[in-house]
Amino acid sequence: MRLLISPTRRAVLAFATLLATPLLMANPAAAAQNAAESFVDENIHKGLDILRDKKLSTVQRRDQFETLLLGLVDVRRIALFTLGQYRRTAPPDDVEAFVGAFKNYAAAAYQSYFAKYTDQTLKVTGSTQRAPTDFIVQTQLIDPTSNQEPAEVDFRVRTDTGKPVLVDVAYQGIWLSLEERDQFVAFLGQNNGNVRTLIAHLSELAVNLGKPTQ
Amino acid sequence: MRRLRGLLLGLSGLVLCTGVSGCATTPPTPEALATNDPYEQTNRDTLKLNGKIDKYFVVPTVAVYFVLVPEGGRRGVHNFLGNLSLPTIFVNDMLQGELSRAGKTMWRLVINSTLGLGGFFDPASKIGISGHGEDFGQTLAVWGVKEGPYLVLPFFGPSNPRDAAGLAVDTAIDPTNQIAFKQHIWWAAGREYFTLLDLKGQTYQTIQGIQRSSVDYYSSLRSLYRQLRNDQVRNGHKQAQDLPDF
Repeated sequence: MRLLISPTRRAVLAFATLLATPLLMANPAAAAQNAAESFVDENIHKGLDILRDKKLSTVQRRDQFETLLLGLVDVRRIALFTLGQYRRTAPPDDVEAFVGAFKNYAAAAYQSYFAKYTDQTLKVTGSTQRAPTDFIVQTQLIDPTSNQEPAEVDFRVRTDTGKPVLVDVAYQGIWLSLEERDQFVAFLGQNNGNVRTLIAHLSELAVNLGKPTQ
Repeated sequence: MRRLRGLLLGLSGLVLCTGVSGCATTPPTPEALATNDPYEQTNRDTLKLNGKIDKYFVVPTVAVYFVLVPEGGRRGVHNFLGNLSLPTIFVNDMLQGELSRAGKTMWRLVINSTLGLGGFFDPASKIGISGHGEDFGQTLAVWGVKEGPYLVLPFFGPSNPRDAAGLAVDTAIDPTNQIAFKQHIWWAAGREYFTLLDLKGQTYQTIQGIQRSSVDYYSSLRSLYRQLRNDQVRNGHKQAQDLPDF
């Protein structure tokens, strides 16, 4: 078997491996960063494809988008973040009920946000590593029918659980989870920290967002 | 223009001062102080007032504008108004030391004013010289001036003391305000009116979406305004380390 690879070629291969090994060992971060970019690229395109699939009924589109979204997004982590300081003071049962209500609200809200951009294409332009398992993937939303500058959309990807998950999205520098936290905390501040009131409000919004706009 | 906008700013200030002094006996809540919004109740009342102005005056006018003026015409109006702002943007680019951006602004002014037939067309964007916004509020931020408490101004909407002062300075340095010609007040009023129509036309659906999906529209708008302004001050440069941990 040894003679199937000539000594010269074996030496070249060994030398190439020797050269490549430090690169491979030094770039696990680069590999992780590329994985985050690929994760966003592949899955956001899947989401946009579902939203623009005219063969699907409204219910089918909603259900497929929701299934995809809940598989990509760490809804529980986002929900707990948006409670702000009330996460520590609210009863645990209320917090769990809130996570459930937030899941329904987020699915409806994100679908209504992304539905506006189904005619546009998304292009990954790079990424930044904020921490070893925390990446910001930069993309551009390009409208082929317009001369306007592409919109910058960033996706925050965490990989600390072993698989990449989305935890936030920013449109032109505005982070959605930050905005949600600000308004939920303000709402709770006006309602004596009553998470059940927020849950009722979110549930109502989720139903309304699912209705066609006039 | 200076007189009209100055009148509006003065009226806003008067309403605000009256509201603020009226609320002087109502101490701000701990939450309001934590969010740097000590005048929250007055701001909420002003937002409701602005909503009524929008509902009964602005939105119906925008609807008529959309019916009467086709998309190409509205695009021309948008380009023209944008071109008028370029001198002010140039000054603020220079004040911030952004020479490359100032150069782009200058080229846009020259190209769009000439080849763009007075600014109604935007050939500069077609050849890769894209536009950007700058204002004296951003200049003050770059110079280290803090934004101050959140404010909602009558007519003008979300703001803060720094941005309100910036708006007054931009009004004063706008070269079209230095032009003395007949019917100046009508020119100024017309420009303000079409700026309002253009802005509302572009943002109406977005605002509707925010209102529809918000648990608390007021605080949603406050968060959006602050994040947007910070992004504008940074000229879109990302500051990943400033983000909170999840």
